[in-house]
Amino acid sequence: MTRPARNDPHPADPTDPGPASATHSADPADPDPASAAGSTGTADADEPPAGGSFAGYFLRKLGGAATSMILVIVLGFFAFRMLPGDPVLKIAKERPMSPAQIAELRSQYGLDKPVIVQFWDYLVGIVTGDLGESYVYRKTVSSLIVEYLGPTLLLTGTAALIAIAMGLWLGQLSAWRRNSLFDKLASSTSLIFWSVPTFWLGLILLMIFGGTLQWLPTGGMITPGLDPWSAAGIIDVIKHLILPVVSLVVVVYAQFLMIMRASLIEEMSEDYLTTARAKGLTEDEVRRRHAVPNALLPTVTVVFLHIGGLIAGAVTVEAVFSWPGLGKLTFEAIRGPDLPLLQGTFVVFSAIIIVMNLAADLVYRFLDPRVRRA
Amino acid sequence: MTDLSFENVSITYRSSSSRGDVAAVREVSLDLPAGTTLGIAGESGSGKSTLIMSALRLLPKSARLDGRVLLGGKDLAQLNFGQIRAVRWSQASIVFQGALHSLNPVREVGRQIIEALEHHSKDTWTSPEKRRARMLELLAEVDLDSAKASAYPHELSGGQKQRIMIAMALACEPDIIIADEPTTALDVIVQKQILSGLAALVADRGISLLMISHDLAVLSAVCAKLAIMRHGRLVEFGPSDEVCLRPRENYTKQLAGAFPQIGDQESRMNPRTLRPAEVTRAQPFTMSDEVVLEAKDVSVSFATKRGTERAVRGVDLSLRRAEILAVVGQSGSGKTTLARALLGLQEVEPGSQVAFQGRALPRKAKALRTFRRQVQMILQDPAGSLNPKRSVYEAVVEGLRVQGIRDDEYARVVGALEAAELTPAGDYLESIPQELSGGQRQRVVIAGALALDPQVLIADEPVASLDASVRGEILSLFLALKQNLGMSALIITHDLGLAWNIADTVAVMKKGQIVEYGEVDSVLENPQHEYTQELLAAVPRLGSQSLVRNE
Repeated sequence: MTRPARNDPHPADPTDPGPASATHSADPADPDPASAAGSTGTADADEPPAGGSFAGYFLRKLGGAATSMILVIVLGFFAFRMLPGDPVLKIAKERPMSPAQIAELRSQYGLDKPVIVQFWDYLVGIVTGDLGESYVYRKTVSSLIVEYLGPTLLLTGTAALIAIAMGLWLGQLSAWRRNSLFDKLASSTSLIFWSVPTFWLGLILLMIFGGTLQWLPTGGMITPGLDPWSAAGIIDVIKHLILPVVSLVVVVYAQFLMIMRASLIEEMSEDYLTTARAKGLTEDEVRRRHAVPNALLPTVTVVFLHIGGLIAGAVTVEAVFSWPGLGKLTFEAIRGPDLPLLQGTFVVFSAIIIVMNLAADLVYRFLDPRVRRA
Repeated sequence: MTDLSFENVSITYRSSSSRGDVAAVREVSLDLPAGTTLGIAGESGSGKSTLIMSALRLLPKSARLDGRVLLGGKDLAQLNFGQIRAVRWSQASIVFQGALHSLNPVREVGRQIIEALEHHSKDTWTSPEKRRARMLELLAEVDLDSAKASAYPHELSGGQKQRIMIAMALACEPDIIIADEPTTALDVIVQKQILSGLAALVADRGISLLMISHDLAVLSAVCAKLAIMRHGRLVEFGPSDEVCLRPRENYTKQLAGAFPQIGDQESRMNPRTLRPAEVTRAQPFTMSDEVVLEAKDVSVSFATKRGTERAVRGVDLSLRRAEILAVVGQSGSGKTTLARALLGLQEVEPGSQVAFQGRALPRKAKALRTFRRQVQMILQDPAGSLNPKRSVYEAVVEGLRVQGIRDDEYARVVGALEAAELTPAGDYLESIPQELSGGQRQRVVIAGALALDPQVLIADEPVASLDASVRGEILSLFLALKQNLGMSALIITHDLGLAWNIADTVAVMKKGQIVEYGEVDSVLENPQHEYTQELLAAVPRLGSQSLVRNE
């Protein structure tokens, strides 16, 4: 070619710490080519501007997450103050108490102070990690949550991993073989399971495999007396896990399958796949290397939102299988009503969802180079 | 060296819809002997893309091919999948419209080139280091900086992406390169760079080139032979000069005339079309002295990471009643930003003045709404600017409802559709955009603007995404609106032929500034500024393979 050699500046490294105030445009697909005009030097006038830094992006997303968290904390306090039922009277009903004792209980829980003072104590408590003391368990809420968080993460984490892997894998195969027998079977069975209530499925599984066949334990996480870190203990925990995980996975994998299927079908008509085929790639390579990475983008956001929901939604499964997790704890706190415990689990559940959202944003940026410009 | 030939090829798409099977290509025979260049011209739906896809067996499963496609004497239909994969890219490669979506958006472009090498490593590029070296060599050949290897497609301009596509096509030293509209959506200067680069590379290596385009001039600038296709059939075939300059078929004449030759007095103020819009006034409006829209010292800047970018710098323009003003320039010259500033959609720098009928542009939302009734915008892509779920009636009536015009709603809509030459309007009211052709959609967009009886139309590349024959119709409609209604129009375009076809005045824009501004006849026939001369020189001329011989 006859033109003088170009000397385009290399597009800025995404990790280059630059000013975080890249206000050019929040829309990565800014259609206005003129915004790149007027650049000096030998750069292509039409070349899009370089992206923002990772630190700036991270701080912005972190700021958003922190704001949501503050709102959750405030809501957590006031929402439960509006619940009907006086916890002290409820406790008083269960055993005979004199009015003096009731008043003392009130002051012990700090319920006699003005709401604003209670709110202040609550805020200070959150910052220092002291979420108050459970009315029912007579233990600190923080120690209860720590004790019950592990089992919940074990249960929902396992279920989420299996459901996502299965859903995405079946989803992309269904899309690639659209309208084949495989697609029809995979989509329809997943939808049938999706329409089944989790607790009902849990009960049925419990009756068949725990009751009639007696293959698997019916509740709890571990046979009492076993050391959970011994080999026998680990196998025992896995046995206890099977039924609740299956009830969770079978019901939710359909949504991952449907999202992946829809988003891959959308990508399948894109021109770059024709380019890849013309280059001589096999159909499998076209799918794995080009179509799926692009189809994953819209899927990731939804998947992460659902993981948060899955953890919060474990309440019914934990109740059915007496799984000693946060769901069961919440279920019992509602029956109380055990205000400090409810507040605590509410804040923790919300925090998990907010963290998952933040993770989705960060993973998305890693997967999609276009977001690196935002 | 490999010959490519199509022997009596027919391609039919099976379809379960009510239309039944669709014949895309009918009995086409064409030869591309090794080392030659052939262009296929045709409009959308002519079957030209389908035909070239069959050369690498890239047609969808629903297509049935009759006849034979021979590559190097072998019938492609006889090869098994492994053999056809080996043929793809190593013997024949394709340059798609890189400016659009032909590159994977989430992979570095360098890796996409290397991928082709990995599949056809032959014996030369056996190790990752050698492949990387080859990739950098290819980038140098298409005049790209080696740092661009680690860029993602969205970080490149349209021209740069097209260079990447060409580098990728050259990667495995193919015998044949098939180029599918390689310069559509690029402006004339970049188009010339890409075409002359492609022509030179092909000539140096003795590669055969098969190129398709809707623009006869682009093909004739590069290809020695030309074929014209229409409705799946071969209409005309012959040496490039002969087909362009002495066409035998009416259809070829029409295609050749769609993109006017600047300086040709016959096409001045007369876009060639079989369906010219009617001029109904005995004494058509002509450009007056009354200034409708005026810009003085308008500047716009954007804050970006690289600092402030001044997209528009001190622009003075005035648009008179019944004047058509064309603002021409390359992508990135700031012409779209200027249009947005004139519409009050874009914040301008202090000191900029925009006046409509002598009064400064209002800043308050309510007053701006009244202003926008008078000045309407028409966008480039009619498919994108119409809501796919709304009927034509709803699309046209929306402006009326926004402006609170309640009387005679039905009559106004019908009037606007008829002014946009969608007649009888009743037939179109219930249609949704999907049921309309590209030209009809653009007419609906124009009708939506006309419904408000505006004084001024501002159109951003109104015909860039339309077929050659439709282009003439729409341009003739603009001209008729001016002559019948005395409407003024400011048309933003990178197409100098459009200015020659319908504009009274032209403003040439470069890097945010207007470098030349005046009557079309004087500016285009006797350009003073070197940039205008450069733009004019870049417009491909019909016939004579201008870009090949000049290089």
